Amino acid sequence: MTTHTITITVNGEREQLDVPANMTLLQLLRERLALTGTKNGCEAGECGACTVLLDGEPVNSCMMLALEADGHEVTTVEGLARDGRLTLLQEAFIEHNAVQCGFCTPGMLISAHALLGRNRRPTEDEIKEALVGNLCRCTGYVRIIQAVRAAAERGGGR
Amino acid sequence: MLARPGLPRFDYVRAETPGEVVALLAERGEAARLLMGGTDLFPRMREGTARPALVIDVKHIPGMQEIAVDGQGWLTVGAAVTMNGLARHPRVRSDYPLLAEAAGMVASYQLRNRATVGGNMCNASPCADTTPATMVLEGRFVLVGPAGEREIAAVDFFRGPGLTALQRGEFLRAIRYPPPPQGAVGRYLKLGRNRLGDLAIVSVAVLGFADRTAPSGYRFRIALGAVAPVVVRAAAAEALLAGEPPGEEAFARAAEKAVEAASPIDDVRASAAYRLAMVRVLTLRGLREVFRGM
Amino acid sequence: MTRLTSDPVGKSVPRIDAVAKVTGAAMFTDDLPFGPGLLYARLVRSPHAHALIQRIDTSKALAMPGVKAVVTGKEVTALIGLYLVDRPIFAGERVRYVGEPVAGVVASSEEIAEEAARLVEVEYEPLPAVFDPFEAAQPGAPLLHPRLGEYKVANFIFPEPGTNISEHFKLRRGDVEAAWPRCAAIVEGEFRLPQIQHVPIEPHVAVALWEPSGQVTLWAASQSPFAQRDLLAQSLDIPHGNLRVISPYIGGGFGGKAGISMEACAVVLARAVMGRPVKLRMTREEEFVGTTVRQSLVARTKIGCDAEGNLLAMETAYYFGGGAYNDYGVNIVRAAGYSCTGPYYIPNVKGDSYCVYTNQPVGSAMRGFGMPEIHWGIEQIMDQLAEKIGMDPAEFRRRNCVKGGQTILTGMQMPRVDLVACIDRVTKAVNWGQKEPPSAPHKRRGKGIAIMWKAPAMPPNPGSSAIVRFNEDATVNVEIGAQDLGQGAFTVLAQIAAQALGVPGRVLRVGARLGAGGHQIQPLRVADRRQPHHLVDGQRGQGRSRGR
Repeated sequence: MTTHTITITVNGEREQLDVPANMTLLQLLRERLALTGTKNGCEAGECGACTVLLDGEPVNSCMMLALEADGHEVTTVEGLARDGRLTLLQEAFIEHNAVQCGFCTPGMLISAHALLGRNRRPTEDEIKEALVGNLCRCTGYVRIIQAVRAAAERGGGR
Repeated sequence: MLARPGLPRFDYVRAETPGEVVALLAERGEAARLLMGGTDLFPRMREGTARPALVIDVKHIPGMQEIAVDGQGWLTVGAAVTMNGLARHPRVRSDYPLLAEAAGMVASYQLRNRATVGGNMCNASPCADTTPATMVLEGRFVLVGPAGEREIAAVDFFRGPGLTALQRGEFLRAIRYPPPPQGAVGRYLKLGRNRLGDLAIVSVAVLGFADRTAPSGYRFRIALGAVAPVVVRAAAAEALLAGEPPGEEAFARAAEKAVEAASPIDDVRASAAYRLAMVRVLTLRGLREVFRGM
Repeated sequence: MTRLTSDPVGKSVPRIDAVAKVTGAAMFTDDLPFGPGLLYARLVRSPHAHALIQRIDTSKALAMPGVKAVVTGKEVTALIGLYLVDRPIFAGERVRYVGEPVAGVVASSEEIAEEAARLVEVEYEPLPAVFDPFEAAQPGAPLLHPRLGEYKVANFIFPEPGTNISEHFKLRRGDVEAAWPRCAAIVEGEFRLPQIQHVPIEPHVAVALWEPSGQVTLWAASQSPFAQRDLLAQSLDIPHGNLRVISPYIGGGFGGKAGISMEACAVVLARAVMGRPVKLRMTREEEFVGTTVRQSLVARTKIGCDAEGNLLAMETAYYFGGGAYNDYGVNIVRAAGYSCTGPYYIPNVKGDSYCVYTNQPVGSAMRGFGMPEIHWGIEQIMDQLAEKIGMDPAEFRRRNCVKGGQTILTGMQMPRVDLVACIDRVTKAVNWGQKEPPSAPHKRRGKGIAIMWKAPAMPPNPGSSAIVRFNEDATVNVEIGAQDLGQGAFTVLAQIAAQALGVPGRVLRVGARLGAGGHQIQPLRVADRRQPHHLVDGQRGQGRSRGR
């Protein structure tokens, strides 16, 4: 099996790593970089618990090889808060009780964060569409959608 | 055997030119698989239904991720263009909105950032979302192989569920779309178990445009997805609409004709009977909406 | 002591773990760091629904570099079970469902463990299998547990050896045979439900460490660490004081992480590589076969009423598809049995609730614990009977729902309840009786009403306690046995503790228990208090039972 030297920037920090061809980006983040906020829920691109930003765009990290991230920027949930300050979106999730078991939360935040980056005032339908790939088994989604709305109203989650 | 955790072992190579791909495929044959978005390949590798010793990444060959319009108004979509890339491209949205609409309905936003148009086509599932639009837009597939480049019509590309016209050693480089007829309006309707995110139970793409060569003054192109071994054009329905003036009556009869073009199966998502009933409903809705926009 | 806070109980406060969850800092079992010494396990699972195991050859797996141990049912003969001890940890002489663990492989990486697992050779002799619980309950059905009579069983569960019936709850009230002729209308129906999987977003995962000293630690996504600890201690002969079950954050459970599904495998595999931690995690695909499910149900019910619409009689039989083994299953069946009338007053009742072995994944707890299953049929058949006598379904329920002071099917007198007021309020809120247009032309709008009751399925004297520890600086640790899997238990208990103690919430820490040695990762729910033992050996005897 081939091994590849890659350079990636994760949450603003540059890393150079040797990775086997069959390592997924999810495995790289969790097992090599100890960024366990991103979760493994299905390894099939269905549940979205593994969602990260690749150059600002949400992707399922279980559906990407680590080596495919070579030269790219990756943002995980750990990279959302800056200097210990939560984003408006994270605060809205807390305020609106959009978090229960918390396992889907990192993926939800990443997808919603990207949504607010490209659409400052999403409608409820647009929020739902953006979160189609993030499954939640606890909350029933209503409060998550409310939290995203509230964050948008307060200034776009940045 | 259940799917394994993670991916099995394989060698990875990034191809820089079409020639490289052709050579590698010739050398390794069945032991090699092409990597585009990976959203179909990786689940299969976990399941064990795909067991490549070599994975050839073709996304980075020049042009594979590009969308371009040439002097004659033809749209060339590189095979590795992602669904989101296609859906948000300004020229696609303005000139081929049907294609943008279809691409935007695939799976989830995350998957649309990796899943490619070409990969979706070569997977050749009868419920692929971009295929009905490609059929009514009469796209042409640009294939590269040992004998060089060749182009075939979309209708000739799909041979059966999971089967395409790709010969041994060939790969799909791009899909080319002719400029749509003047004033054409299109709609893609997709019925899933839920409103967003599911595979199609039934899908219908309708393209309508004024055409003086048709006795009715109009032509409609109708493609049905997920109701036959391949995506099919509802030829009899199209012929009817070319002959009869558009309106509720003609649309209703065309919808019946469309049902006759379908040969669905029972599966976990729906029964054949339900699918047939929905072909009629979606075709009718599609025709109405398209005509309203024309 | 002066109150420093103003009645936090009843206020809506942010969850105490919300920040950890939104920043990705919350550590779930698969996130816990165990260092480079961590080993990984993968299970070999049966491809057959029912088969005898003729031969297992683990030599090729053992020969693979990186493989530390391979364990089969030959080395581990212990049985495990909550109320009925019927389940081997690795299959013994036979497999009873597709997915049943037959062997476990421990290796230095998950990849190697998986490859080695695929090299374990198992020879099976397939047997006839049965999947429908009604069929499985009939004489002549393939027998899954020929040794049912030998299993240890709690004193309130009644299996029928020689059959596939692991629990038969029987209820008789009045005389249904005498009542049928007095009925003006009778309806009969069969209602079916398949097995249902919980699908928590976090797949099951467990890390076990068996130290040479005899100290055993299990880190697992667990809804009930104390119950798991007790089961493992009894099954594997681990002194309770030597066993800790540590449950960090849990990514949803819904009952599926309440009992034992794959955790016992992890512990047994850890014993085989003594001194090294072993991680076992399920893929999503494995979740559907290898963890527990809600039981399936075939309910056959007959009810009758007089001309005024008063229910006179009910005859009902529940055939729960319990799967190949029992976890919580038999207790669910029992709870369903003593609830079988639903919240109605019926003077004559013949009820039989069977837990039936089927060649399917293990049936166990899932939200509602039998109640959604039975009300699915009850509420439909009530509607059918109301229709037969031309009565409005809401009115039928007002007339027949159980009222305070009435004696219900178990002989218990109903305390003060006002279901009628509930029905009134609901029917008023939905404009019952008024047809309303649908929200879109291609839709239809209908109105229905259902009432239900929930059996506690617990003994009348369950234990629930907390240990409150004041630290040197007057901060407080509140250690509890409950588990927070997202429903907010810790937050609420912090509010209660703050109010009871009169201290601000910020000085409270709920749930954390600093054990002696081992990993101290906050917050943890650690089950290492002694728990009374309740199972009896073979005969019926005294004993407290555990339920949910």
